[in-house]
Amino acid sequence: MITLGLQEKNTLLTDVNKRSGANVLECYQCGKCVSTCPVSNFMDFPPREIMQMVKLGLKEQVYLANSTWFCLTCSACSGRCPREIEIPAVMEAIRHLALEENYTNKSAKVKAIRKFHYIFLDMIRRYGRSYELRLMVEHNIRTRDLFKDVMLAPTALLKGKIPLLVKPVKSAKAIRRMFKMAEKLEQKHK
Amino acid sequence: MKKITYFPGCSAHGTSKEFDETVKMVMKSLDVQLEEIPDWNCCGATSAHTLSEPLSYALPLRNLVLAEKLDNTTMAIPCASCYQRMKVTKAHLDKNPDLSKDIGTTIVDEGTYQGKVAVKSMLQYCYEDIGLDAIKARVTKSLAGMKLACYYGCLLTRPKAITQFDSPEYPMSMDHIVEALGAKATEFDYKTECCGASFSISDTEVVISLTGKILEMARESGAHALVVACPLCQSNLDMRQPQIEKQTGKKYNLPVFYFTQLMALAFGMPEKELMFRKNIVPVEGALAQIGKIEPEPEKVKKPKKAVEAESEAE
Repeated sequence: MITLGLQEKNTLLTDVNKRSGANVLECYQCGKCVSTCPVSNFMDFPPREIMQMVKLGLKEQVYLANSTWFCLTCSACSGRCPREIEIPAVMEAIRHLALEENYTNKSAKVKAIRKFHYIFLDMIRRYGRSYELRLMVEHNIRTRDLFKDVMLAPTALLKGKIPLLVKPVKSAKAIRRMFKMAEKLEQKHK
Repeated sequence: MKKITYFPGCSAHGTSKEFDETVKMVMKSLDVQLEEIPDWNCCGATSAHTLSEPLSYALPLRNLVLAEKLDNTTMAIPCASCYQRMKVTKAHLDKNPDLSKDIGTTIVDEGTYQGKVAVKSMLQYCYEDIGLDAIKARVTKSLAGMKLACYYGCLLTRPKAITQFDSPEYPMSMDHIVEALGAKATEFDYKTECCGASFSISDTEVVISLTGKILEMARESGAHALVVACPLCQSNLDMRQPQIEKQTGKKYNLPVFYFTQLMALAFGMPEKELMFRKNIVPVEGALAQIGKIEPEPEKVKKPKKAVEAESEAE
């Protein structure tokens, strides 16, 4: 196998394996993950290809692919993987490594997904709990898609599906400290 | 009376209030006291583990530590995502005690983590700890006549090594529960397909495609309604259903119930209190099926000619 020859220089492979706890080299490219994955058709490279690209050390392509952002961590693939590779953990490791090394996929879709997660975390930092209405409104504003789901709003609000207010956590200090600690641990990785 | 720790999760105060309310009603009638974790925080959901590994463990850890102070041996969580984040964190801390020390001593004022509380989803608690017999014994209004597609989504049973509950491919616990209530569970192949989760806001197209397939399969299974145990699954299947119908031009008309709403209904609790008014897809059609029991289909004898034609064709 070509990949074995590359193993020594392939820092991508060692980084991904170390971070995910999986061994990507065990993948024998059967493609069961692709046929199982509910979002493989939205990905630049489906999971099987990502695995092979990691083996080949194609760092930039792997880090910039939208695949890791579309992964839902539903674990359908790993449940069926004949090599029992934790593919969602591999996807997550790649995403974290790419974030740490400042590789940014700039497509509109990935931007929207990334913004959603940042807004969500920001909300938790502020309230300690999720605040659905603010999340939806802020996401619309920040993705410049102001009228998205506006049609849903009247029914959802009237039916009390989405409350107008959130009850914040009392120990705001504990929450802030968690965020600080997380930032510190992330810095350590860099 | 049994007492367990209860972690409602953020959506219990919002999108899934009816889940929270009916869980409380059902548990009370089954003689289980729920003790809510004081001042619990968000588990971090998908966003925390998407962006930051340490945060994805820290947020659930605070809840786990607070839960241990309550002196109950079991914690039950209605939301599938909260449940899975807690289980993942617990598994990770048990495997890496160093990290538990690192995160535990630097961020949690409340105490250190010992790992002595069992974490279960509300579905799991009903199935394993309460049991089908106790549920059956409490039924006063059978749901016979209703055909239900039980939808589990991804997080309640996967990954198997973490959840250690039911089958990751074709779970049956919820099916058994609704059958204990008198209803019929349909054979439903998409019961563990992902609904698209938080893409509901960030990339709605994904949810419309995934949820559309689930609705299609549920309808094909002959169900009058879907039953779920996860707030995000409920909201995607219910709130997005009119949009999906508009895009595909198909009519599904499948209301989406929480399994505890149906338990409360079968336990004879007044319909008014079960908050069916929060459902976007009207529930009346499905509820009207209760009591309408279909006669067993009679075997229709084929006319002789057709039988002969068939055997010739072979």
